[in-house]
Amino acid sequence: MTATDTAAAAAAEAILSVENISLSFGAVRAIRDVSFDIRKGEIRAIIGPNGAGKTSMLNVINGFYHPQEGRILFRGAVRKQMRPYEAAAGGIARTFQNVALFKGMTTLDNIMTGRNLKMDRWRVNLLPAMFYYGPTQREEIAHRAFVEEIIDFLEIEAIRKTPVGRLPYGLQKRVELGRALAAEPDLLLLDEPMAGMNLEEKQDMCRFILDVNDEFGTTIALIEHDMGVVMDLSDRVVVLDHGVKIADGTPDQVKSDQNVIDAYLGVSH
Amino acid sequence: MEFVNLVLIAPIADMAEYPSFFLEVVFGGLMTGVMYSLVALGFVLIFKASGVFNFAQGVFALFAALTLVGLMTGTMPFTLDKILPQFPAWLAVIATFAVMIGLAVAVERFVLRPLVNQDQIIMFMSTIGLAFVLEGLGDTIWGSEVKALDVGIPTGALYLGEIQIQVFDLWAAAIAAFLVAVLAVFFQWTRTGRALRAVADDHQAALSVGIPLKNIWIIVWSVAGLVALVAGIMWGSKSGVQFSLSLIALKALPVLILGGFTSVPGAIVGGLIIGVGEKVAEVYWGPLVNGAIENWFAYVVALAFLLFRPQGLFGEKIIERV
Amino acid sequence: MTDLQQASAEADTFPKLLVENARRIGDRPAYRQKNLGIWQTLTWREAADAAREIGMGLVALGLERGDKVALVGQNTSLLYISFDAIQSVGGIPVPLYADGVAEEMSYVLDHAEARFAICQNQEQIDKIESTRDRIPSIEALVYEEPKGMRRYDQPHIRSLEDLRRLGREREAEQPGFFRERVAEGKGDDLAIIVYTSGTTGNPKGVMLSHDALRNSARLACDMESLGPGEDILAYLPLAWVGDHFISHSMQYVAGFTANCPESPDTLIADLRDIGPTLFIAPPAIFENFLTQIGIRIGDAARVKRWMYDYFIGVARRVGPRILDGRGVGVADRLLYALGELCVYGPIKNNLGFTRTRIAYTGGAPLGEEVFSYYRSIGVNLKQLYGQTESSAYVCLQRDGDARLDTVGPPAPDVEVRIAGGGELLYRSPGNFLGYYKNEEATRETLDAEGWVHTGDAAIVTDDGHVKIVDRAKDVGAMSDGTVFAPQYIENKLKFYPFIREAVAHGDGRDYAAAFINIDLEAVGNFAEREGLGYSGYTDLAQQDQVYDLIQRNIEEVNADLARDSGLASTQIKRFLILHKELDADDGELTRTRKLRRRIIADRYGELIDALYSERDHVRVNARVTFEDGRVGEFNADVKIRDVATAAPGRA
Repeated sequence: MTATDTAAAAAAEAILSVENISLSFGAVRAIRDVSFDIRKGEIRAIIGPNGAGKTSMLNVINGFYHPQEGRILFRGAVRKQMRPYEAAAGGIARTFQNVALFKGMTTLDNIMTGRNLKMDRWRVNLLPAMFYYGPTQREEIAHRAFVEEIIDFLEIEAIRKTPVGRLPYGLQKRVELGRALAAEPDLLLLDEPMAGMNLEEKQDMCRFILDVNDEFGTTIALIEHDMGVVMDLSDRVVVLDHGVKIADGTPDQVKSDQNVIDAYLGVSH
Repeated sequence: MEFVNLVLIAPIADMAEYPSFFLEVVFGGLMTGVMYSLVALGFVLIFKASGVFNFAQGVFALFAALTLVGLMTGTMPFTLDKILPQFPAWLAVIATFAVMIGLAVAVERFVLRPLVNQDQIIMFMSTIGLAFVLEGLGDTIWGSEVKALDVGIPTGALYLGEIQIQVFDLWAAAIAAFLVAVLAVFFQWTRTGRALRAVADDHQAALSVGIPLKNIWIIVWSVAGLVALVAGIMWGSKSGVQFSLSLIALKALPVLILGGFTSVPGAIVGGLIIGVGEKVAEVYWGPLVNGAIENWFAYVVALAFLLFRPQGLFGEKIIERV
Repeated sequence: MTDLQQASAEADTFPKLLVENARRIGDRPAYRQKNLGIWQTLTWREAADAAREIGMGLVALGLERGDKVALVGQNTSLLYISFDAIQSVGGIPVPLYADGVAEEMSYVLDHAEARFAICQNQEQIDKIESTRDRIPSIEALVYEEPKGMRRYDQPHIRSLEDLRRLGREREAEQPGFFRERVAEGKGDDLAIIVYTSGTTGNPKGVMLSHDALRNSARLACDMESLGPGEDILAYLPLAWVGDHFISHSMQYVAGFTANCPESPDTLIADLRDIGPTLFIAPPAIFENFLTQIGIRIGDAARVKRWMYDYFIGVARRVGPRILDGRGVGVADRLLYALGELCVYGPIKNNLGFTRTRIAYTGGAPLGEEVFSYYRSIGVNLKQLYGQTESSAYVCLQRDGDARLDTVGPPAPDVEVRIAGGGELLYRSPGNFLGYYKNEEATRETLDAEGWVHTGDAAIVTDDGHVKIVDRAKDVGAMSDGTVFAPQYIENKLKFYPFIREAVAHGDGRDYAAAFINIDLEAVGNFAEREGLGYSGYTDLAQQDQVYDLIQRNIEEVNADLARDSGLASTQIKRFLILHKELDADDGELTRTRKLRRRIIADRYGELIDALYSERDHVRVNARVTFEDGRVGEFNADVKIRDVATAAPGRA
């Protein structure tokens, strides 16, 4: 392998990189000149104390926030900013810190909405669907089959037909993960997937995240508060503090980084 | 004793004595109820999908009916000269639906988009504004006099024993039922329907799974426009296309309180209950208070519901888990 | 004698029965299992093929006659078929509880000297792997579900799919080997070792022969006239003898279909899908269903509630008589039919009982309320009494003669007698061969004449029904000499939907007192209605309103106890709600949810002392064990309440 090949391979490895991103809300500077990349197939953690700008960063990546400066490279294409629809269509799925499910709909319907972008626009539309026959039916069945795989994977068979608003929090988080997975994403953004869970639920969620990464090869970027979880789960960690990147590396490197110890571990532990 | 007899016993005795007349009254009430249901349905659709209480829904019906009459009579907008070719009824209905879709696009572009993420009350105010604008626009474009509308729905009377039934009413009920069935299928089974329900539930989450909000809003407002069109046709054919059509929006409010703001079956059942209730009250209790019960009956029922069952008959019980 | 019964008479082992069934009713469904939302069917022929492949696969791995093979997981078609696969080639299956912690599993695996284990999934593989150094006998592990197993590259771990491939290859090399092995089997061979947790000490391995299981199964099938048309839901733990007996022994003898649920949590939905004709569940499940109905009705509109109350009233009055085939007036019959249409039918449909001809329950006493409820709406709920040592049953209630207070007369061909001290003894065709590698325990339980000592105190009524009173060793005396039967009181308490578990104390004391575990779902619902906020079990359990609720229940029980002069002094004077749920993982309950009194007394000694003191609250430090064996700790403040007692003889 020649040197250029190696360089090309390394460049191709990053599925998404953010470069010199700055984001302000009025006078508040949420993110200041942050750059990092997410490599194909890895589990990438973004950590930092409260108010470090982690969720803002996620919102920039999936297009909810539009940064004033910097650029985003996604699959090699340069963008000034993402739009939510484009992000979703481009293979980025996400979950939310406080669970944003369609509470009145069943688990099955919720996960089916995740298939939204995978559905053939014309075949599943109003007129044919009114009669629910032929191609529409086949299409619907194929998607349903995929969704059933997810339900099996996440072990949520029992709540298939339950409106998610009635589920306990831990299960809602799982359904939300299911909805994100339904889009067969290349990049999965998880905003505190284990927040508010008890120990047993956390362990289940860890197992699911590792399995997703392992079985589907999905690249995962996650924000997490629980340091232990982050260190066990992730391949690489980027640390933000007050909107500034203070460290970036493997869990071991980050753990021993003096800046991190001062800013994060030192303060909260 | 006399009072009890007047209020409670005499009217019931009346009903029992002439059951066929009673049934006729009930039937007439049901037909009015179908109209209420249709308008309420328009409200529910928009409220569910965008959280906006669309005060202009009644005016939508008026505007649709006006446009339809205008097209069918070959009226030139603004000048009101009848010099254009007259559209046949079916084509006029389709063309009017197209106009309603255009209206939906305009509403999304000029009302909803600039106000996205604002408080509900602000959205509500904006629909009041929309109602006034549309009403004025309808007047200016199509003129303000009462117009007859005939799209070819059969009329005449049928007799079931002693009971007289208007054929038109039967058709109206059938069309309304068909419309509701189509909507139900649309919401429950299609991808778009599922997307609509998703948006109704959580905007941000819907965005994150790649549902474009803009399109959804246009679709919802178009569907609401279609419902308004059907309501406008029914009401207009029965009592002429006139300004008072927009007032049925006010009747839809008690219907919604009764049925629950987010429930499609609620809108339908609520409409029917109010329709029958006010007719029966008017005929049997009206003479006691010199009539006009019809005008306030619905509001009294709504008030009672607000006191005892605020979520309505079919509304979602408000349980939040912590 | 039908064809099938004929067959079961000739085929003296279960593998032979499987071959017979595949020949006679090969196209009928033997198993169904819901997978990805769809019920997948395996016919008897397919089941026999799968058994041959798995069996030959084990031979390829080196299985010899007499080797033990562990089976661990939730109920799946292939795990059931693995029983036959193992038996076919001369192995002895040893089923393990899927929810057992690694510690318990390693004890059994080691004690049984299991050479192989067939596991349902990664979870079970992980548990065995984590303690493999303590199980020297284990050579190979097989898993059925590949999920999460991709990174496991240890040579001794392979998939069931792979094992079947090995089996097919071996079959091609040695055609006829399998048939010979099956033919070598004899009825008096050891068929299975079932470990019972028992309430004390280490689990014991109960050895059951093909004859014991097959003969008992045939008697039961004949008595209830069961044939190939039946459907059952196979959802109870594989390692519980009752499940093995019904979802395997009886299934093979009668040739009916066992349906495996999609997951342990989907029981209700799966029940509704299948509509089993024969259903067995511990009383807790029947109680739980009733609680669910209660909650749903409580939330329903007033009209519905009224209708429900009215028709349930009708059912309670005439339903049991109709079910027992006794005379009922025409008007009542019509009312009942209307009720069936409006209330009972929909309820049964909702629970999946529409087609249920027989529903069995046993293992623990059943509440009056529950028993009569089901019978009144037309579910033929019957109690049975049995033990692992008897291949499941000893007593069975007969149609038309189901009673609440007895477990029925001895089953066909079973003899019972009451020994000194009131202990129940039986001798049955299903008698076990002995405890595996435990001569001493075998001698204590099974005497030379074939009588098995149950350890249960019982009486036989004049018309031959058996009435179980308590565990013989649990019955104690209070300081004034009154007989104190803790289970009797606990059962009364547990019939309240808010109380999930109760532990009564009183042996050697001046007065009785109790620990309570609240039912998180029922009390959670109550809290929701009352607008109480809570963060979890511990928080909810210590709320004053919850104490009030439980106190009312206990006062009712006291009033009930006071009616009987012999029991009046066992009324509960003080109680507390435990800060954590009693849990099998912590060793406080057996896997079948029986109290382990000694462990509870040791662990909560401080709380017991407080119950017999003046204190109104105690601060405790609690520990919980997670499924992987790790232990967590937390602090809690536990309140203690006094309860009013009723004067004796007054209602």
